[in-house]
Amino acid sequence: MHQYENVMNELRGRASEGDRSVMKSVELKSLFEEIKLMPADKKAAFGKAMNDFRQELESLLGEEKQEDNRPPIDVTAPWDVNTSYASRPQVTTSLEGSIHPLTAEIDRIIDIFARMGFYVLESRQIDNDYNMFEVLNFPEGHPARDDYDTFMTEEGLVAPAHTSTMQNRILSQNKHLLDEGQPIAFVVPGRVFRNEDLDATHEHTFHQVEGLYVSKGVHAGMLVATLKTYIKEYFAEDLQVKLQPFYFPFTEPSFEMAVERPEILRRDDSEEQRWLELVGCGMINPNVLKMAGIDPNVYTGFAWGFGVERMVMMRNSIEDIRHFNSGKLEFLRQFK
Amino acid sequence: MKVSLNTVRALSNAVVDDDIDELVRKIGAQLGAVEEVVDYRPRYAGIVVAKVVSCIKHPNADKLSVCMIDDGGITPDVKRDDQGYVQVVCGAPNVREGLTVAWIPPGATVPTTFDNDPFVLEARELRGVVSNGMLASANELGISNDHSGLLEIEAHDVGEDLAKTGTAFGKLYGLDDVIIEIENKMFTHRPDCFGVLGVAREIAGIYGKQFTSPEWYLDIQNSTENQGVSSEALKLEVENQLLQVVPRFTVCAMNGIKIKPSPLWMQALLTRVGIKPINNVVDLTNYYSYVTAQPLHAYDYDKVASLTDGEGAKLIVRYPHEGEKVALLNGKTIAPRSEAIMIATDKELIGVGGVMGGTTTEVDENTKAIILECANFDMYSIRKTSMAHGLFTDAVTRFNKGQSALQNRVIINQVIRDTVKYAEGTLAGEVLDYVDCDKINISGDGWNDEEVAVSSSFINERLGLGLSIDDIKQTLKNVEFGFDDAGEKDIKVYSPFWRTDIALPEDIVEEVGRLIGFDKLPHELPARTMSPAVIHNELLLKKSLRSSLSSMGANEVLTYSFIQGDIMSKVGQDPSLAYKLSNALSPELQYYRMSLTPNLLTLVHSNIKSGNDRFTLFEMGKVHIKSDIDDGGLPIEFPSLGAVFTDKSQRGAAYYSVRAYIDELLDGSFALEKPENVDVSQNDRLRQLIAPYEPSRSAAILLHGEVIGVVGEFTQKVVRAFKLPPATAGFEILLSALSQVTTNSYVPLSKYPGISQDVCLEVARKVTFAELDGALSEIMNNSDLDDDITLSKRLIDIFEPAEAEVKRYTFRIHFVSQSRTLQEKLVSQRMDQIVTSLGQKINIRRI
Repeated sequence: MHQYENVMNELRGRASEGDRSVMKSVELKSLFEEIKLMPADKKAAFGKAMNDFRQELESLLGEEKQEDNRPPIDVTAPWDVNTSYASRPQVTTSLEGSIHPLTAEIDRIIDIFARMGFYVLESRQIDNDYNMFEVLNFPEGHPARDDYDTFMTEEGLVAPAHTSTMQNRILSQNKHLLDEGQPIAFVVPGRVFRNEDLDATHEHTFHQVEGLYVSKGVHAGMLVATLKTYIKEYFAEDLQVKLQPFYFPFTEPSFEMAVERPEILRRDDSEEQRWLELVGCGMINPNVLKMAGIDPNVYTGFAWGFGVERMVMMRNSIEDIRHFNSGKLEFLRQFK
Repeated sequence: MKVSLNTVRALSNAVVDDDIDELVRKIGAQLGAVEEVVDYRPRYAGIVVAKVVSCIKHPNADKLSVCMIDDGGITPDVKRDDQGYVQVVCGAPNVREGLTVAWIPPGATVPTTFDNDPFVLEARELRGVVSNGMLASANELGISNDHSGLLEIEAHDVGEDLAKTGTAFGKLYGLDDVIIEIENKMFTHRPDCFGVLGVAREIAGIYGKQFTSPEWYLDIQNSTENQGVSSEALKLEVENQLLQVVPRFTVCAMNGIKIKPSPLWMQALLTRVGIKPINNVVDLTNYYSYVTAQPLHAYDYDKVASLTDGEGAKLIVRYPHEGEKVALLNGKTIAPRSEAIMIATDKELIGVGGVMGGTTTEVDENTKAIILECANFDMYSIRKTSMAHGLFTDAVTRFNKGQSALQNRVIINQVIRDTVKYAEGTLAGEVLDYVDCDKINISGDGWNDEEVAVSSSFINERLGLGLSIDDIKQTLKNVEFGFDDAGEKDIKVYSPFWRTDIALPEDIVEEVGRLIGFDKLPHELPARTMSPAVIHNELLLKKSLRSSLSSMGANEVLTYSFIQGDIMSKVGQDPSLAYKLSNALSPELQYYRMSLTPNLLTLVHSNIKSGNDRFTLFEMGKVHIKSDIDDGGLPIEFPSLGAVFTDKSQRGAAYYSVRAYIDELLDGSFALEKPENVDVSQNDRLRQLIAPYEPSRSAAILLHGEVIGVVGEFTQKVVRAFKLPPATAGFEILLSALSQVTTNSYVPLSKYPGISQDVCLEVARKVTFAELDGALSEIMNNSDLDDDITLSKRLIDIFEPAEAEVKRYTFRIHFVSQSRTLQEKLVSQRMDQIVTSLGQKINIRRI
């Protein structure tokens, strides 16, 4: 080892002077190349010593407090000293400001529902198993939980995999409205998370808009009519819808609603292109109402949830879902 | 679930619409989403049953034969001899005169090549002799793995009628099938629909036709005797230690088994639905699992016996002992989780109950006797075991939906009958049926014990329909529900024993609505009162901020709610305060973010590299920290607004560029304070928030005395770590604080002209603008000299001479009166008074 000490000391010296180039220096590189030349029995020990040495250099460089050579400023002043009128800070930093296409879409969606009489509440991004599953009629270990690959924290909290995580809260906190003869009518936009690998069409983080309506005498036809009204407003076109039976533990009956795709968004004339499976929905399961303290024999209601990304991608021909969270200006500035 | 329509037809009187498109549409609308439809009929088009009428050796090739075949003369456009026979060259070892074979004529496709790169046959010379198409092996026909020679069609297998020459080959072995794959997710609560029988019943139901299950399936009271009980009983014992999770364990021994391939129709069917044919015994268990959704398992009796102490064979149902392992049929050996349901012998584990069998007791070609197992396992336990070991088998898919424990006996009886038929076995002793009688009432008459009371009005209120009680009864009866009348419009509904999903009247609503058709629901909007909908304030605020910031040229981004621990360390945050995911996809997504700034910083360098020199990125999102918990024990969610500005070519301090945004957004109702004057040591969230910011070049933002955010440039460490240009700065504010911002109140306009005067004040360099400005404002507002004059001020310039430790601020003060025109002299006097008063507070010099 000692034959390398000289070189190593020299590198140490340079590192403590703050010379960051040591990390990429020929000397350090050649020390690492020595590993290959070592006899087999010494290779591992030497390799480890070299890695330790590299860390040592890094800590020498890190600890050293680099001189902050920026001139001092008065943070309470509106501009710096000796700044001419023309160079004073402007809020307009560019002519290319933009709103994120997903938040713009959500604003548009909730605006429609708000006009239809729905109150808007944002969904949580961290919740517990109780709200995410239990009160939605998913018992512990239920196979329906398999459809939601949830992220968990070390404390056992959940990154919600659907905006339905807000259902019980909304129902129990607003049941007084029912006593007052008002419906519970809510839309819940929010970010949801699924433990899923990223690719052009799959994201682990995406957005949903949940809806909830409870009152007396609510039937499944009203669910269809409500969503159809929304869809008409959203597409500015009176489109056909169809229901497919589905299964969610928190609704009974459950449906998946498909919407006739506006012709302009169809790639061909096929039946497959004609329908857009858009909304998971159903009549709120009586157990869900009961768990929120609402009598399912008196009140009935419906709920739905749909994703936001897919519509934005389709309407704008966005080819890769990963762009949404990429922070790339080339992408963002196309949505002025 | 892949549904074979031929199997649906074979099972009962099930209705199968010849119009497949219409059938698929109805299934989609009334049962569940159809994922795929595979029509097997075209792949057998043109292929016919033919007879080899002569077979001679090929003149130029040792291994080839030249055959004349009779196809009944039905294949068009093919060269025939005088007797109407067709010449085909064949290389199969079993080709001989008199054989009935499948002939693929010129123009037809070899079925196995149908999906990828189709091989279309033609008439072509093989070593100088023309072959019109080919004679095919079972393998080439896609019906089994057998490629040892030609498929030999036997009349006793397929029936005299179909074995005739000229029969379309697709009619044999049920090959003219259509497979409709229905999404499994739809059947999460319908374990019965993981069997074709269940789906067939639903299809009848949606066509409004009465379905009747096969007799053997409905023989719940076990009225038919099993045939052919062997005189020589095999000793079989069961010890179920896990009654709580294995409520039913039904087994029997059979001997005299002859292992061979299962009938071709069965092999072909299993292949079509994605199950690999193995041998007659194993295929039978798989076939009945496919038909009834009840998984079955067959053990080699002698192998189990050899692992049993003493005479006979004994199966023990128990949890594994510590350190025990089991070698599974998938080739893997696992050490099962401590609460996995295991099947064991006295000596060792031989399988994971309800999940996968083991290799040591596997049925193979030498098997002479078997044990058939038809058990019921707890769905939750199966699911946990499956997840723990990554074992996802067809049995798991079926068991973890919770199969009915009432069907085991009828199913094992039927499998015994077919094992007699297809494997020449005989029952060697009693069927042993271990049942948890507290949970399962096997003496019932085919209905589940719990009845559901429902009325036509209950159903109609929830569907918006006007169905009569008779419509409802007929709809339910079609899928074999039972009921008692309980009044004019009320019924008690009994669900059949295979249904495990009917508990609530709402379940009946679903059943009726679905079978009638949800397309019949009336589209009717809920009635609404005139009261306006209230919009959530925070959302309105966010919308307006988005609009303001973007109109100022900033770009809204979304970054993940999760962040890398390393990034937090680089900005000086303490990852141990952040919520950490235990199952993160990657280290980049390990923690919940405690502020937005770090994620925004990661975007600066990449955007500069792609050619953007000057930009502001902002984001609105939620942040979480372990220190802030609500009353319910959940993390408080702090909605936050963060922004980062950078300008590659700017020389001056970026701080002021970002501060301009704060001025704009907070409209003057805030205060900026040096971080050193604000104590955040007790507030974890604020400490993490300000961590990336350089204390000497940033300010705490205060609103009504509370710290609501931070604005400033970043520490040198952050600048280096994120490769930031020198002119980079940012801010982050608590969104909820922004909604408390009050705009300046209106000042009435004066009828009289006002006068402005500039004043230049020199102070020591260490005096901040805020100190001077604050003192000046105070004097101007508290001016008790003359209450009728209104004063306002505007900063004009800040000058710092190079030579001295001073700064000079020039303010323009505006004087206006509501009652008179002001005189220049009075204004000058007033200005002097102000400066004098100011001088008593701060050491100033008027220039």
